[in-house]
Amino acid sequence: MAARRSRLELVYDILLAIQNKGGTIKPTHLMYKSNLSHKLLNNYMEELIGKELIFIHEEEPKKRKKRSTKKVVITEKGLNFLEEFRRMREFTDAFGL
Amino acid sequence: MYRLFWTPEWFNGWDITFGVVGILIALLIAAYSYKIHSVTGKNNFGYFSFAFVLVALSLAIKGFTTSVLYFHPIREATYQLLQPALTGGSLINDLFYRGAFFLHMTSMLGAWLLIFFISQKVRSRLKRYYEVAQIGLFIYFIFLISWVSNFKGMVFYLTSLVITSLIALNYYKNYLNNKNKNTYKVMGAFLFIALSNIFYIFVYFYEGMYVFGEVFMLIGFLMLLHTYRRTMK
Repeated sequence: MAARRSRLELVYDILLAIQNKGGTIKPTHLMYKSNLSHKLLNNYMEELIGKELIFIHEEEPKKRKKRSTKKVVITEKGLNFLEEFRRMREFTDAFGL
Repeated sequence: MYRLFWTPEWFNGWDITFGVVGILIALLIAAYSYKIHSVTGKNNFGYFSFAFVLVALSLAIKGFTTSVLYFHPIREATYQLLQPALTGGSLINDLFYRGAFFLHMTSMLGAWLLIFFISQKVRSRLKRYYEVAQIGLFIYFIFLISWVSNFKGMVFYLTSLVITSLIALNYYKNYLNNKNKNTYKVMGAFLFIALSNIFYIFVYFYEGMYVFGEVFMLIGFLMLLHTYRRTMK
């Protein structure tokens, strides 16, 4: 059985899922990609928005009767976090920590 | 005047320069490890950071003590500073050198032992009671070895050789598990540090071995720096 992901690893997985989709992703897709429940993902997203690592972009519907679609977008700060986390992981693996 | 061992005169000063390089590398690794500790809150990063601070401290004490031995102005300045305590003459003088070398050995052995424990990759190893007891016992042995080494310096290098070889072995085991080239390089770095201790052991028979010991130690630290830089890319 795989070990439980730490809080930091969950944040990393969420941001990585967004980055892998070109920086923008639908919330439902993000839920599947990051392997989190709807409730948990919302909690994390609120925190990440507060820390300016992501933001929500609402797209206007192309057709009149359709609802607007929400998309999660990673910020520059979020991309920097991903880079720093990769470095930390590399350091951790190299020095056996 | 008490001396741990004699060194080739032409090399005086070079060893201090090598030591300064080692201090800077150790502090660099300690700072980054501490940064990860403050972000993740995981203890092993804190212990790793502390271990490298101990390495830097040990090298700094050695560098200062040998510079007092080598260079006249520093010796004079230290003598002026310690003059109120130097009423006992050469006895206090001896105590100063013995005390300094004792601190150098204790911090270096403590650092190697801490890195050995951390590189073992056992989950929550430092939380369990019996392992805390083990650490307590090892700390006692470190003090004992450092004390004995003041009279028979070879013991310190022999112990350092054993611990650094075991650290290299731990990193080899880690490499077999993760196949990470950087882990392999860290193993190589500790192998060079272990090799340097072999040369230090023989310094009591031929003082030229000190140069080889210092060069191998420097290579070990430079390999650690190289690995650190690669992880930062």
